[in-house]
Amino acid sequence: MVIFDIDYIHGNSLVVNHQAKVNVDEITYPLSALAKQYPDAKNIAVEVFIEQAVYRFTEHDEKYVVNASNGEKISPLNKVVAISAAKHYYSGDGAVLESELITDNPPFELSRRALPAWRVNFDDFGSPSIYVSAQTGKLVSKRHEFWRIFDLMFSLHVMDYEEEDPSNKLLFWFTLFSIFAAITGGVLSYFVIFKNRAKNTLDKSMGVAR
Amino acid sequence: MLLLKKLHKWLSLLVGLQLLVWLGTGLYFNLMDHQKASGNQYKQTPVVAQVDINRLVEPQLVLSQSKQVVSLKQISLLEHPYYLLTHNKGLYSHFDNDYSLVDAYTAEPVVIDETMVRKLAQSSYNGKGVIKNAVKLSPPYEDIPREQNEVWQVNYADYIQTSVYIDAGSGRIIKHSNDDKRFVDIFFMLHFMDYGTEGSFNNVQIILFSLFTLFFSLTGFIWTIELLFNGQYKVRFGNKSRTLALFDKDLELIGEFDLATNTNLLDGLIDHDIALSSTCGGGGTCGQCKVRLDSSVKVTSAEHVLLTKEQLQQGYRLACQHDATETKRLTLIDVTKAKKYLLELTHSEFISPYIKELRFKVLGGEKLKFKAGAHLRFYIPPAKGISIPARLPDAFKYHWRDIEYFEYEHQACSRSYSLANGDGQIEAGTNELKFTVKIQNAPNKSIYPGVGSSYICNLGLGQTIEAAGPFEDFHAKPSSNKTMMLIGAGSGMAPLKSLIEEQLCFYQKERKETRGIYFFYGARTEEDLLYKDELYRLSRKYPNFFYYPVLSRPHKNWSGAKGYVQDLLTSNINKICQIDGVEFYLCGPPNMMSATINLLKTKNVDATNIAFDEFI
Repeated sequence: MVIFDIDYIHGNSLVVNHQAKVNVDEITYPLSALAKQYPDAKNIAVEVFIEQAVYRFTEHDEKYVVNASNGEKISPLNKVVAISAAKHYYSGDGAVLESELITDNPPFELSRRALPAWRVNFDDFGSPSIYVSAQTGKLVSKRHEFWRIFDLMFSLHVMDYEEEDPSNKLLFWFTLFSIFAAITGGVLSYFVIFKNRAKNTLDKSMGVAR
Repeated sequence: MLLLKKLHKWLSLLVGLQLLVWLGTGLYFNLMDHQKASGNQYKQTPVVAQVDINRLVEPQLVLSQSKQVVSLKQISLLEHPYYLLTHNKGLYSHFDNDYSLVDAYTAEPVVIDETMVRKLAQSSYNGKGVIKNAVKLSPPYEDIPREQNEVWQVNYADYIQTSVYIDAGSGRIIKHSNDDKRFVDIFFMLHFMDYGTEGSFNNVQIILFSLFTLFFSLTGFIWTIELLFNGQYKVRFGNKSRTLALFDKDLELIGEFDLATNTNLLDGLIDHDIALSSTCGGGGTCGQCKVRLDSSVKVTSAEHVLLTKEQLQQGYRLACQHDATETKRLTLIDVTKAKKYLLELTHSEFISPYIKELRFKVLGGEKLKFKAGAHLRFYIPPAKGISIPARLPDAFKYHWRDIEYFEYEHQACSRSYSLANGDGQIEAGTNELKFTVKIQNAPNKSIYPGVGSSYICNLGLGQTIEAAGPFEDFHAKPSSNKTMMLIGAGSGMAPLKSLIEEQLCFYQKERKETRGIYFFYGARTEEDLLYKDELYRLSRKYPNFFYYPVLSRPHKNWSGAKGYVQDLLTSNINKICQIDGVEFYLCGPPNMMSATINLLKTKNVDATNIAFDEFI
């Protein structure tokens, strides 16, 4: 686990950190118009979604993406938009293998909070998956085989095969036994190295002992 | 396999402590209070502003007056809406980010200053402490090592020294930290071996130690498998025994014996008064307790080292490495007359400051026959010992003045001592066994004196002890007219004197042509010259026997040779005789032995003409 760079494991190299700036001239659909359409909108943001200025906001616990030029609703993302978003975020050049919309029972590598989300798999080294939120169009997760192996190893490391929680009883007892074994091993080594030496020197020069 | 075990031992030293650190810190993580460890004891979620969407300034207006942005986001700070402009966005919030803030109602630019930071911190804090100070810092930070942006640190005067970290650009509460959290951080630092400012476990030292630990585990695992295959992990219930057919070296059946299965064959045979030669006492290092078993019996790593391939194929094994469950037949190779005897001490006398002559009577009236130079193995029981012998004659007390007196306890062990019988007692068999034993003393408590020699030299008259033997590894070659040269020092006297007396007696009786017998004996002072008068008497009586005592620290009036016995030998060896046909017999301390053997090698003496009795 320690050999692999943790940033690599997190999949940071799988994605492009886009710095495309909001084009002010594109914002022809004003906030006042949005406020009429969505009077309870909260946490309003103006951002770029695949080279298009958009509004992102929450209304009644649902998240929206709206085109800032004409007020068209982009969310929830359809398959075509989701795939183009995933390609936009993905840094590699592998082809899209498959995509699916996950609304329930997320795989172990995706948090429940990120649902609903599109999973887009790429045909590339390490079988990367890019997860795009179906509501916000944002990148919510990126995973490859190395993360999956690392995750498996972590569950072995903490001996919890369900929740990866280091505070489990199994780990407690095994750690306790290991500490006991390590200490007794240390004591044994001490006796082998130091006490034996003392005994040996004497036996070697002892009387007519052989 | 040997290399693997060595590797395992050295790795255990290297890895051992770190392994304990890992386990100890790991146990701490397993048991710790996660609420405390999070540092969020006094953390609360700040109250969010009630935003009137109609009062919000048009984003377009804000953007047209500002630097270009990746994102404009309405956020809430101190229950008031602001626009957070992100000019440069890091992949994560702790990566390098470039922000600015604007009031979302008035479009006024806002700079986060100390006053605002103190209020922001307070909005996230529900403890009773007051703010001590607020300081703006640059990375790296001890409490939040991965953070790359400028932050404000607001310190509270509470009992756990809470610090609130606020992003200087966005006003976001990054983290709360306190003494509990810092304590946990020390454990993480130890667990990750993260002694720099990395904030992760991707450092050189942990990679190295992990690799070492991996090798340590692997070598240990392989070793365990090997032990398992050799049957050393068997669980046994009770003292069961098993019947074995025993054969002598001519493959004649001696009989059937019940051997205990909970002990190895070497110890099991002793119960039947069959004592195999062994100087290591069953440790698998001397290779002397050879027997033949069924050739299917597994070969241990000790046997791979000590026995040849041909021997292993023929079924030769070491008795100490196997037990009665593994074989049906056992063939003894060196059938010795060795048996176990109970001996009673009849005489115990200091003949030099450190050497005692001991005589034992064999209980049961049996007489032992053996060749001169033979030894007995004594079974020393667990007992208390003393560093200075009791009943020390006044004349020798001076020599023990530097020895610290202390008592100690020792465990059972076995020690071998050479028989010093001679003078015609041997051929007919004897009921009285004679030994000269040097008490190996220890200067202070850090090291035990020789437990075997101390024990038997402190035995009282009439006390008994068990011993097995005789073992005849060291003895005179078949009689011839070759010159014998005996070289010894200290208590190496015993087997050599026995040999000399055996030879002199034999030639007197047979009245054959006499052979030359030369005895070089080294000691420190005149007091250490054992049996001096007797040896001088013998050299006068027998014209073919020559006695050369040599002292390393003689008194002033000593007229004999000075120095070490090997030095005397070096200067005189060529004067005495033709070296070709000479038989050499050596017994003494290791330095004397190795120096003498090297000398003889340089003189091209054939190794078959050198016999030596080692002090091991």
